[in-house]
Amino acid sequence: MEDDGFWSLSWILVPLSLLSIGGGASIIAGLETEVVRQQGWISSQEFLHMFAVTRAAPGPGTMVATLIEYKLAGWTGAVVATLALFLPSSALFYAVFRTSNRHRGKRWHRVLREGLAPVGTGLMIAGVMAILRLSGGGLLAVGIAGAAAAILYRFPGLSALAIILGGGLATLGLRAWG
Amino acid sequence: MPGLFVACFKIGSLSFGGGLSGWVHREFVQRHGWITDEEFAANLAMAQMFPGVNVVNLVIGLGELLRGPGGAVACLIGFLTTPFFAVLALDGLTRLVADTRGLEAFMEGVAFAAIGMLVVVCGQGIARVRHSPMGLATIIVIAGSVGVLGWSMLPVVLVAAPVSIAFANARIAVDGG
Repeated sequence: MEDDGFWSLSWILVPLSLLSIGGGASIIAGLETEVVRQQGWISSQEFLHMFAVTRAAPGPGTMVATLIEYKLAGWTGAVVATLALFLPSSALFYAVFRTSNRHRGKRWHRVLREGLAPVGTGLMIAGVMAILRLSGGGLLAVGIAGAAAAILYRFPGLSALAIILGGGLATLGLRAWG
Repeated sequence: MPGLFVACFKIGSLSFGGGLSGWVHREFVQRHGWITDEEFAANLAMAQMFPGVNVVNLVIGLGELLRGPGGAVACLIGFLTTPFFAVLALDGLTRLVADTRGLEAFMEGVAFAAIGMLVVVCGQGIARVRHSPMGLATIIVIAGSVGVLGWSMLPVVLVAAPVSIAFANARIAVDGG
């Protein structure tokens, strides 16, 4: 299974990398479907734990793939997964950026931007749903997420670290209370 | 080149949650004056419309603008170094004490708060297309099919993205853009 998971996950990550329109958050749903529900490589609790770790550490949430592959195949797996996650989208963006830099301000530039923006937003909303569903936190999850969103909306300058620590401490307090 | 690496290393090391483009702006435009405001904004728009983590694409574009291919690679590696080791270190650390319920509740809350941060970004995305019925329909169809029905993302995006781009094309033609 370990050898199997080593390359299989990378082959899942390459197309996901090229589909992560609107940022890494848009592929969390796809990654969870493949790794937890279809392949059963890790449990949903494990996935949520790893997602929480990526959010508490610096770096994109998609690095949850680095942790999954580290669990399946060690250090080599972690490196291969990270490359599979970042190289395809990075190479594509680099090629497009280099080419289009000569066409800045042209009409197709705007068409592509306006056409892809709602696609990215829709995928991000799907990602939010996937994480909420597998968190199993019910009302508490919705409440903390809603409160964090409301506070960030009200105080846009607030640091992300403060919000994350606040969410952690609030949940710790509420769980200890209940 | 070392300056580019160091700037991206700093941003990567402190990249908790979203809102990183503000940090990139502070390093590249305000602190070092490497690029203009306008160049930054144009690059950011592109970074967001292509696949990949927005800030990763952003630093790759800025590296290319400033130093060519080598600059892009320096920025990418600089940004990813700390996060790579940090997630593995923190994961190991939480596993050493994973039987404590308190830590689990704390990590759970961290994930909930992160969901809240994503919700804000989703809200901004919806607000951006609020005057476009087609844009709103695209968001609803994708969120519904992938998020609610659990359809595979790949076929959904391969169908929805060209349709959405075609409608944007028609809309911009009408606007005379």
